[in-house]
Amino acid sequence: MTLRTPLICLALIALAGCTSTSGNWGWYVIDPTTPAGYNNIRFLLNGFGATILLSIIAAALSMTLGLIVALPGMSANRWIRLPSRIYIEFVRAIPLLPMLFWVFYGLPVVLKSFGISVSIDAFWGAIITLAISDSAFTAEIYRSGIQSINKGQTEAARTVGLTYPQTMRYVILPQAIKRILPPLANQFIYIVKMSAFASVIGMQELTRRANELVVTEYRPLEIYTLLILEYLVLVLIISFFVRWLERKMGADESK
Amino acid sequence: MSENSPAITISGLNKWFGDYQALKDVDLDVAHGERIVVCGPSGSGKSTLIRCVNSLEAHDSGTITVDGIEMTDARAVEAIRAEVGMVFQQFNLFPHLTILQNLTLGPIKARKLPKAEAEARAMAYLERVRIPDQAHKRPAELSGGQQQRVAIARSLCMEPKIMLFDEPTSALDPEMISEVLDVIVDLAEDGMTMIVVTHEMGFARRAADRMVFMDQGQIIETGTPEQFFTAPKSKRCQRFLSQILQH
Repeated sequence: MTLRTPLICLALIALAGCTSTSGNWGWYVIDPTTPAGYNNIRFLLNGFGATILLSIIAAALSMTLGLIVALPGMSANRWIRLPSRIYIEFVRAIPLLPMLFWVFYGLPVVLKSFGISVSIDAFWGAIITLAISDSAFTAEIYRSGIQSINKGQTEAARTVGLTYPQTMRYVILPQAIKRILPPLANQFIYIVKMSAFASVIGMQELTRRANELVVTEYRPLEIYTLLILEYLVLVLIISFFVRWLERKMGADESK
Repeated sequence: MSENSPAITISGLNKWFGDYQALKDVDLDVAHGERIVVCGPSGSGKSTLIRCVNSLEAHDSGTITVDGIEMTDARAVEAIRAEVGMVFQQFNLFPHLTILQNLTLGPIKARKLPKAEAEARAMAYLERVRIPDQAHKRPAELSGGQQQRVAIARSLCMEPKIMLFDEPTSALDPEMISEVLDVIVDLAEDGMTMIVVTHEMGFARRAADRMVFMDQGQIIETGTPEQFFTAPKSKRCQRFLSQILQH
């Protein structure tokens, strides 16, 4: 498998660091056999919960928002299509980090000027940003999945009397879902990785915790190595799930 | 919906695809029980014409009246589609459903028929197209000829008054054409009103009451199969017939 090479490289680097006497590596900061190292590891791993929760909520919102944007985007009427197109082009053009700052610092001000007084904490600020930013991509995934279904299917459905919602529900979506789910699951990996940006607004997730530990321990190499491994494990678990999903869908298609 | 009025009245029909005029002032009346075969070179507008009849293509000007319902708004389109069945060149069966589910989807969801009744009706029509034993398979497990017969049965399950066939045998291997045509002839003999776009001239001789020859978006010539094949009036029609009857 393609993953083997980078994993071996990582293991070799880690080994070299452990055995080196030159003092470049200081694994003691995350050595589970010492009380201090054990506490540090626990501190770092405690970020998993927030990263996972953040990603799951953001992904769920993004998938819902994406479908709401995608459906009018496929209308034959250009005026119905237009808002969807504008949304996608606009959102896709905004880099994640500036958008995060805007939502976290700016959005409460905007809302307040409309008389809505809500404070947006780091958790929801990150979720809103990730969900909106990602929804432009999920919308395109829905669109390409639905449009990949032959037009003849819609025509046949209409000739046997189905309405548009019925055609979507009983004919188009059951076929399109096989093409939509794998890229959608892939998009989830993107969200997990981008959730690291939440650290800059103070969200206590994996990256934030690593940063805080680096500040007190001053061992960035070891701590960030572990941080990368944390994301690697998370992403690997998701990609195995994606593979499984693809195999399952593929098997269904040949039936 | 009197039986004296024509099943389909098309008058002054025009249809554009961008700059290209696909139909030019087409007039056509189809009587109840009449079997019409439309032929002509590719790009002549024959498929577009029948696709306008159930509004799969929206026409730009002219009027279409089906069984007394003039196609004016979305509601009229729904009403017309309920009377008109259609069979496509590419079958367009629903690949994720079994044959039986393909046949019952419309009756159950659009007509609100109870499942048992819809299935009984579906089996009766599968019997009629001579493939009841395939009911629980998926479309991909069937041959092209069988799939097209399922598509015909699927249309019949909606109990239409009029059937449209858009080159029903053009996507089939030669050895499967006759099994599909036999089913259509069978329907014709039962008095179903139908418009068939096809190049199968043997079938046209056997089943058509009237031939319609189209070229460049216009109806050039109509007549009984007898007249049409033995003494075509227009040059274009003569040329077309000599080309397709050579083989």
